Parts: sequence; structure tokens; C-alpha cells
Amino acid sequence: MSFGSPFVTLPDFTYHRPQTVEQVLELLKEHGDEAKVMGGGVGLIAFMKERLMSPTHVIDLKDVKGLKRVSRVPGGGLNVGAAVTLADLLDGGDLVSGFAVLREAISRIADPMIRGRATLVGNLCEAIPWVDTPPALIALDASVEIVGPDGKRSVPVSSFIRGPVDVDLGPNEIVSAVSIPDAKGASAFEKFTGGSEFSVASVAVSLSGEGRSKKARVVYGAVNSTPIRSGEVEEIISQGLTPANARKAAEVASQTVECLDDVLASSVYRKHLVKVITSKVLRRMIER
Amino acid sequence: MKEISVRVNGRVRKRLIKDNELLLDFLRDRLEVRSVKAACWRGECGLCTVKLGDSLVKSCLVLAVEADGQDLTTVEGISPEGELAPIQRAFVEHGAAQCGFCTPAWVLTTHELLQKNPHPSQAELIDATSGLICRCGTYNQIREAVADVSGTKTNRRVKGALTRA
Repeated sequence: MSFGSPFVTLPDFTYHRPQTVEQVLELLKEHGDEAKVMGGGVGLIAFMKERLMSPTHVIDLKDVKGLKRVSRVPGGGLNVGAAVTLADLLDGGDLVSGFAVLREAISRIADPMIRGRATLVGNLCEAIPWVDTPPALIALDASVEIVGPDGKRSVPVSSFIRGPVDVDLGPNEIVSAVSIPDAKGASAFEKFTGGSEFSVASVAVSLSGEGRSKKARVVYGAVNSTPIRSGEVEEIISQGLTPANARKAAEVASQTVECLDDVLASSVYRKHLVKVITSKVLRRMIER
Repeated sequence: MKEISVRVNGRVRKRLIKDNELLLDFLRDRLEVRSVKAACWRGECGLCTVKLGDSLVKSCLVLAVEADGQDLTTVEGISPEGELAPIQRAFVEHGAAQCGFCTPAWVLTTHELLQKNPHPSQAELIDATSGLICRCGTYNQIREAVADVSGTKTNRRVKGALTRA
């Protein structure tokens, strides 16, 4: 009983359930702009209800061979196929245990039912500013693997996301996997949601290397139209994760991280949140 | 239109559907399973939750065609006809339903949790049910019903139960 409201019905489309990546590419070649690829469908179905998208062909990736796989790659990294759900990753136990920032980000996304459907790759392809996995993946220096008519290419997540709901992906291409290099150091994630499902500000931190060659990647999400790295904060904590540096980093972050005004929060409030979550995440990493 | 076959609560049901039909509408309109509630239609309230295969899903975010060939369980399927599952009895005893609109989803979700994890901690219960909303606010009674079945103690003085910190 849909009462004819656009918010509860879906536009007319033909549903495809291909078995191989080649078949997906074939369908995309045939239907091009008229087609949308579906991972879990959480985002796509919502977009279609609101008629923000009205594809005439929906291509479901759930049965595509090889895309439902999480595997260790040589050197200790992780390769996550496009049909792997957030719940698959959380349940993966040992596989994701070394990637604390990703595990922490996923464990607080929405709820178990949504996590059982939503995919990591889907999160990235939507490029919605307040989604938590992109900052975590950028902190881990992850890349997306793209397959298209011209073959394969690999793009860092940080440049794959060009803007809100805008990614570096051609109409006939799909993201087949996310590739995460080995995370040898500590990492952590923190966010503030103000009680809603969505982040108003988030931070993902990853450390690697020892002593003088210590490197840090610090990424803020939900404060701007795309996740943004903070070179200033990275420089401070590269010099050592101490309570004094954590205080300094939080202060510098709130002064330098560019925050936007929107319906959820003012930029002034976001700057305050940036200070709080930076302090929280770094303190937690020190205490571990 | 294409025909799909779904085993709903153990019984195979076949219907002709359109590709763009939601699992929620398939269940309510084509099969007349009215315990699956349509409320927000956008994956927020969780009242359309059903078990598809091995996992709980919000049926407003799933296409009916995706359920083809799968097992599906609604609240009617968790206990034999004429009997109550332990969690259903506990809901009655603790007054965990007020208007009752959200009750099928809560019963199904907490039943599934207890099947997989017979003694859930408070944090596990909060996470497992974080996708459900009860507009009447019977969260404390639901928590007591779950604690009753799992044999764990509840602290009545704890406020804001089942809401996320």
C-alpha cells in the first residue's frame, strides 16, 4: 500500500543479476547511463525512492564471482571485494583486527540490519560527506580497484572521492575492490553524531613507522564536502604521541581544519567538535 | 512481471512480481503478512524487519526479487502455531508492548539475538536493537523482557536504556 507517494515506490526498472564481472561490463556497455550498479542497495533504493536516481536498469553485484571475497594480499594488506558488506568485515574477526580505525568506524555505522546490507565499496561510491568509512580508508592509505572497458586501474581513495556524491568513475566502469595496505602501527576512529545516525564530525588516525621515521595520517570526515587530511595535526603527532602533543594537536586542529556550515551544525560548532574528537581519539591511543 | 518463489515461515509461496517491487510491499500486499509494518519506508524505524536467509533485513530496503529462492521468517514463524516463544511470553509479562505497532519487529529481533547469543550484555542488546524505534518508549520493559529470558539481571535505576550513548 504505497499511496502513490514518490518516497515509497521505486521507478520502473529491469533487474539484472550477473554472475561475472565481464557480464556486468557487458550490461553497462549496453545500457550505459540508464543503468545503476547495486551493491547492498541501501543507498540506491533510498535514492530511487526520492527520484534522485531513476535508472531503467539495476545491476546487482551480489552473485558476481570474486566480489564477495575478503582476502589478505602479499605483504599483509587487505583486499575487500565490492559485494562485501560492513557486517562481513566486522564478523571477519582476525582479518580486520589489525585495522582498528576501520573496525571502529564500521562498528558504529547505523545498525546491524543496515550493516548486513551496506557494502564498503558502496559507501565509497556514494561519497556522501558524513559516511564514516571513507576517512578511515584514507587514513589507511587505501586505493580502489576499478574495472572498465579499457582494463583495470587503481586510484587512491583520497583522489577517487572528488566531491560530495562525485567520484572518479566512468559510466561504464565499476569499483571491483578496495585495497588496504598493511597497517603496522596503531590506528583509531572517533566521531560525534549528536544522537542522529550521521556524523557531524569524525576523525580517523593511523600511525606507521618507528622513531624518527614515524608517519601519521589524520583525516577529518563530515566537517567539509569531502574527507580532509590535516598536515598540521599529522606533523605534531609524528613527533610522538604524548599527552602534551595530543593537547596541542587538538588545539591546532580546531584552528586549522576547514569546517562548513550546514543544517546539522555551524562551522564554529564543528571546530569545537574537531577539538573534542581529536583530543578523545589521541588520548585513547595513548592509553592503549 | 516475473514469478518468484519464497519459503515464508516454512511454506513455499509463489507470486508474480515486478522488478521494482520492495520486499516489504511483496509481503504486505501480495502475501498479506501484516505483522511486517510499513512505517518510515527508509530504513530508519526497523518495523519492517524480517529474517531473510540467515540475517535480519529491513524489508523496505530490499527488492522482492532478491528474496527469490530464499527462506524468509517473520514473527509468525518463530514459534509453533498456538504457542509462544519464551521472548513472546516475556513481552506479555513485562508489558513490553504499548500500542503494539512495533512489537512484531522487536520480538523477531530480540528472539534472533537470543538464539545467537543466549546471554547478551547490555551493550550487545543495544547494538542488536539499535535499528528499531518504539514510539511509545517501552525500551525499559523490552530490556527487562530480554533480561528475563536470558537470565541476566537488570538495573531498573539505569535510565535511557536501549538508547545509544
